[in-house]
Amino acid sequence: MIKELDARGLTCPAPVLLVKDCIDKEDPEELSILVDNDSSNENVTRFLTNKNYAVKTTPRENGEFHLQGIRSGHIEQPDKATSPASSHTAESAQKILVLVTSDRMGRGDNELGEKLMISYLKTINEMGSELWQLIFLNSGVKLTTNASPVLKELQTYEKDGVIILSCGTCLEHFELTAAKEVGGTTNMLDIVTATQLADKIVQVG
Amino acid sequence: MGGIPKTAMNIVAYPIMKMDREILGEILAGGVEKLKEARTVLLGGHSVEDDEIKYGLSVTGFVHPNKILANQGLRVGDSLILTKPLGVGIINTAVKGGLANAQTVKEVTELMATLNQDAASVMQSFSVSACTDVTGFGLLGHLAEMISGSGLSISVDSAAVPIIPEAVEFAAMGFVPAGAHNNRKYRQDMVESGGDFDPILRDILYDPQTSGGLLIGCSEKDALPLQQRLHEAGVHHSRIIGHVTDKIKEKIVLG
Repeated sequence: MIKELDARGLTCPAPVLLVKDCIDKEDPEELSILVDNDSSNENVTRFLTNKNYAVKTTPRENGEFHLQGIRSGHIEQPDKATSPASSHTAESAQKILVLVTSDRMGRGDNELGEKLMISYLKTINEMGSELWQLIFLNSGVKLTTNASPVLKELQTYEKDGVIILSCGTCLEHFELTAAKEVGGTTNMLDIVTATQLADKIVQVG
Repeated sequence: MGGIPKTAMNIVAYPIMKMDREILGEILAGGVEKLKEARTVLLGGHSVEDDEIKYGLSVTGFVHPNKILANQGLRVGDSLILTKPLGVGIINTAVKGGLANAQTVKEVTELMATLNQDAASVMQSFSVSACTDVTGFGLLGHLAEMISGSGLSISVDSAAVPIIPEAVEFAAMGFVPAGAHNNRKYRQDMVESGGDFDPILRDILYDPQTSGGLLIGCSEKDALPLQQRLHEAGVHHSRIIGHVTDKIKEKIVLG
């Protein structure tokens, strides 16, 4: 079923809210949206991407845009009910969420920063069962791809029940969506929720 | 910049037939409170009946002719300091959409209601080369104005730019005001960034600010002491966010 929405004549943030409302209530597989300005086009596109929709934009006459959003087939979200991580965290004293926001640690020397990040991720299992989630953002997503120097370690952690997630927007931005070799893909709302649920958040990058 | 405000006139538009008059009273009382804080006298004002609320002040003040701080005057090697965090426009868009929580609304309101007078007063005892306030054109738009026609280039240390944390979440969800997109379209030819520059951060750097902070240019030598003094004066968000690199290309380079 294609859900059609007309956001023409609306100014920010009304078009995004219209789409958000529709997705919250009806959760459609496919959306067809009309907007009549560039800002709404960019904002709605970003919102849909964030919600795991693939967006195709076609400019029309009079500065209008037609946006087609199709839900991506490969949404990978951690299934909290069945994942080994839930039993794993249930016994743990606290849930530690690590946000990796870059492929390097710290500022100063880039080469050193890369070495430090590799070393950090190889040592992070010392946190033991309290390590709950590893979320990779911005250039940090490079660490979950086939070119990652810590791919093997991350795959081992995942087997041991650590939830490993990469930001979908970031993977797309670096054109690495197909190169990801470990963990699932996530979006900002889920990241916000995860940061809310975690007992302790560590940001490295 | 550099002047001391003395008198002010209210300018207010209000749907007086449709909305509670008490709200208008509160808006005007809030304005008077800020004028007191700035030791400025309210002389009178103008009101218009309108569907959307608008409120502002037309302010007159004094400045010594030799102490006027223009938005141009930066020199090669100068550092740039920003005194308030960015993201007010994005958060206000999320507030309009009913998505910002009470704590965020409170924080951003306090930020907007904070005068720049403490920062301005600290700045008086330093040799400032140029100064402006960050408002509707966003940080990058105002930086562009500071170098427009001068040939100077600015390098921005994006990681050092103070940002309201919630703005990142809302920008990622598409709550970016039309003004930010317009600012980007207008100035993008002057702005250079690597291919992997985060588009969300870029939108924040273009985000139009309501009651934004001061953008101060000073010598590199003065920059750390000025930042330190600003922090001591309670202007906690102040950060050195970049510097003037050369006088060749007239570009803003985001790093």
